[in-house]
Amino acid sequence: MRVRRLWQARAAIAGAIAVVFALPLVPAIADESGSPSPAPNNSGEKTVFTVGITQDVDSTNPFTGIAAASFEAYQMMYPTLTEYSAADFSTVPGLAESWEESEDQTYWTYKIRPGLKWSDGKPLTARDAAYTFNRVINGDIEQTNYGGYTSTITKAVAEDDTTLVLYVKKPSPIMYQLAVYILPEHIWKNIDGKQVKSYKNEPEGGEAVVGGGPYVLVERRKGEYLRFEANPNFYAGKPAADEVVFRVYKNADAIAEALRKGEVDYANDLSANVFNSLSGVEGITTVPSVYSGFNEIAFNMGAALTDGTPIGNGSKLVLDPQVRLAIAQATDRQVLADKVYGGFASPGSTVIPPLYTNLHLEPADPVTFDLAAANATLDAAGYTMGDDGVRVSPDGDRMSLRLLGRQESSESQKVVEYVKDWLSQIGIEVKVKIVSEDTLYEKVGNGDFDMFEWGWVVEPDPDYQLSTFTCDQRSTEEDGTIYAGLSDSFYCDEEYDKLYQEQKLETDQAKRAEIVKAMQQKLYDSNAYVVTVFYDNPTAYRSDRWTNFTPQPEPDGVLLFQYGTWSYQSIEPVSAESGSAASSGGGVNPGLIIGGVLVAAVLVLGGVLIGRRRPADDDVE
Amino acid sequence: MSLIQDVAGSGGPDPVPGPPPLSRRQKGSKGLSPGARFALRKTGAALGTLLFVLVVNFFLFRMLPGDPIGMYTRGRNVPAEQLAALRAELDRPVLEQFLTYLRNPFSSTIDSAQFNRPVWELVTERIWPTLLLVGTAIVLASIIGVWIGIKAGWRRGKAFDKVSTGVTLTLYSMPEFWLGMILLIVFGVGVLGLPGIFPIGGISSPGTDTSSLAGWLDVAWHMVLPVATLTLVYLAEYALVMRSSLVDEMDEDYLTTARAKGLSDKFVRRRHAVPNALLPTITLIFLNLGFTVSGAITVETVFSWPGLGLLSYEALRGPDVALLQAIFLLFSIGVVLANLVADLLYALIDPRVRS
Repeated sequence: MRVRRLWQARAAIAGAIAVVFALPLVPAIADESGSPSPAPNNSGEKTVFTVGITQDVDSTNPFTGIAAASFEAYQMMYPTLTEYSAADFSTVPGLAESWEESEDQTYWTYKIRPGLKWSDGKPLTARDAAYTFNRVINGDIEQTNYGGYTSTITKAVAEDDTTLVLYVKKPSPIMYQLAVYILPEHIWKNIDGKQVKSYKNEPEGGEAVVGGGPYVLVERRKGEYLRFEANPNFYAGKPAADEVVFRVYKNADAIAEALRKGEVDYANDLSANVFNSLSGVEGITTVPSVYSGFNEIAFNMGAALTDGTPIGNGSKLVLDPQVRLAIAQATDRQVLADKVYGGFASPGSTVIPPLYTNLHLEPADPVTFDLAAANATLDAAGYTMGDDGVRVSPDGDRMSLRLLGRQESSESQKVVEYVKDWLSQIGIEVKVKIVSEDTLYEKVGNGDFDMFEWGWVVEPDPDYQLSTFTCDQRSTEEDGTIYAGLSDSFYCDEEYDKLYQEQKLETDQAKRAEIVKAMQQKLYDSNAYVVTVFYDNPTAYRSDRWTNFTPQPEPDGVLLFQYGTWSYQSIEPVSAESGSAASSGGGVNPGLIIGGVLVAAVLVLGGVLIGRRRPADDDVE
Repeated sequence: MSLIQDVAGSGGPDPVPGPPPLSRRQKGSKGLSPGARFALRKTGAALGTLLFVLVVNFFLFRMLPGDPIGMYTRGRNVPAEQLAALRAELDRPVLEQFLTYLRNPFSSTIDSAQFNRPVWELVTERIWPTLLLVGTAIVLASIIGVWIGIKAGWRRGKAFDKVSTGVTLTLYSMPEFWLGMILLIVFGVGVLGLPGIFPIGGISSPGTDTSSLAGWLDVAWHMVLPVATLTLVYLAEYALVMRSSLVDEMDEDYLTTARAKGLSDKFVRRRHAVPNALLPTITLIFLNLGFTVSGAITVETVFSWPGLGLLSYEALRGPDVALLQAIFLLFSIGVVLANLVADLLYALIDPRVRS
């Protein structure tokens, strides 16, 4: 009797195992349309454009999220007054069709497009915009993401449904580009300043989050994906892709594999290796995409607090402009772009990348790689070569410098090795240390460095980037703790600061560009940074399914994660006649069924083996 | 083989205590059976450990240097006043923070610096996927592993033993993430013209309703590769331990006695040898249960599984002190509880321990 029960238990377990393994095969075999990312087709089925992301959206509430992917989601969901054009980042109409600064420069008037509706059908007017701005201006939590834009605005007034007036303390060019997402008042007025922090702003009970951008959020699974549906009430018209899905993968290789398989339609930030392995794969198009990021070798130009109190232990040597010049002359930016970045970068120059054609300054007299010239610079400045191949400064100090690289970036680690090698050829000894980015941030803030390698991603508005070289952005001290400012070079120049304030008040965009260029020249001449490269954003997408992407800037900029939603608005599914949509990983094919059956057979066999009844088990106790 | 026994031995329950002299029974425990006293003592020790962890947990992460707020906001246009406000919580006196923390270590008023959200909200979101993944893998691995171990150990030196020991040793020494990658490429992407059957990553497909049957099937379909990876790696350990402890039992006199009674080989194995040999394996299984919450960081990363493993890695950046604290508290509780259960269960199935 007892034996019998044991056998039954075993059989049950075996059955359970077999079921657990075999069940999952059911959708793969039986459900013809069950693929996670159906290919677009013409049969009236929904077209879904799937984007692979490595960092999840941290919050769909535009007041609390901080991840890059979150801002991509916000611009899908909500409009802004103006947009950065796809062609060249110039200001173009968004929710506002026109804008004007008053004669006395005390207020700006924005004409909102008439007759607009939120996704729920309620009217979208200047009153919603005024509500949003006032909420940020008078808010607390609301300031975190948008305070930088509203610091000069005192109040917002909707004169009528199509007229928004923003009053300003002083003139500011930021008024052309207020990246504040306009929210529906009828929804957000119910969420007060205290609740806003924990407000999730997620779809509830199948209801989409009310929005006014090209897409509305219809589903969110944390750590997994976000699903958006095209908004028929969007001011520029309903986009062609019925749905956009952001799907989270936790490593870049997985996204590349998912693209190959057809689980996603778009992947960016690819490594050179992955990019090259995807080139030439049928149905996939790879684009290097110029990007707005640069990397640099930065120097400690006299670490100090904002009041001028020196901090840290930086070497005196890099305070000498001639030493920094020699290091710039000894840095082969072309070799770094080609060898370290695999060609997916161009040699660096100034701190505003060249894709911002209106603002970037190409130095008239560029420093070029020339080890002999670098040696001559140091000779002329009185640094004499020692017996061990390391120079000695006029003060008798051995030319030995510390250079910090970043653990998180294999490129960073290669760059510092190259620099070390070049500098050894001009009599400068370099001690390389690789640290994590948070350690580096800490060391830099405290001024405990000579040189380091890091980078920035530069916004279309140059203010933030330029501010990182102002005296005010040096470190601060509070209760004995030193906090880093934005400055990581501790560059501090009175004339530069004056120019910075000037551009901050200049609302004539052409004049402002001139000031911005003068500032770049000053930085370039001082060699506060040796900008090593402007790096690309290697991208791949399923061109057998989607076409008509809009690069920003034209003609070879990024296709998604832009300032704006241009590609989401323009992409179209490839038609069955011209493309091979049917052959992509969407539907079921015989191979899949055969594979599924094989695996199921193996697993069921395994299960049966476990539960197999032994013959002649008739012992008694 | 000694190596494997070490694995089983280290971290196992406390050594078997000698029988306490009856005359020295303590007052408070008068009338309690030895088993109850054993359970009480073990529970008490577990509570003590937890208390210790609670305190250390707080101060440990306070010792990490860094300015997480500055780090997280680097490259973002955040006004100075806002930065100061964000730093306010971290800048409070340590003792004050400690008291707040002690009042309720699971309080949701403490925010993650990185995600700007209550830490326990973040943590609880990620627990279930991890439990589902690692729990399923442990159950499968223990069943299959023990079965392989018994079969191999009982017929030591036979073909099955040689093959299975070879295979399990290979699996045992295989890095989880590597095995995961291989499975992903073979069964997820597809090789040699074979199609990829299973998804590349995630726990469900966009647009499926997880409360429906189709949704459950979809989740199960996504579970196959990550669960298979973990199962293969775990089962190797169980099989090896089970095999070696069964081999140890085989020369015992009571088995000779059982055989002398005329019992069949199978019966001797099932009713006499296996129950005794199971003890170390059960300990190991329960100890591993304690690690289910900490999950499998690498496997979660390979298969983009939205669990706790990755969250702990993310928390280290900055560092996000509040989040680290919450995660480590949870992990510690998991391990201490599993240890306690292992101890108690051991006593239950092995009377020698509690006598």
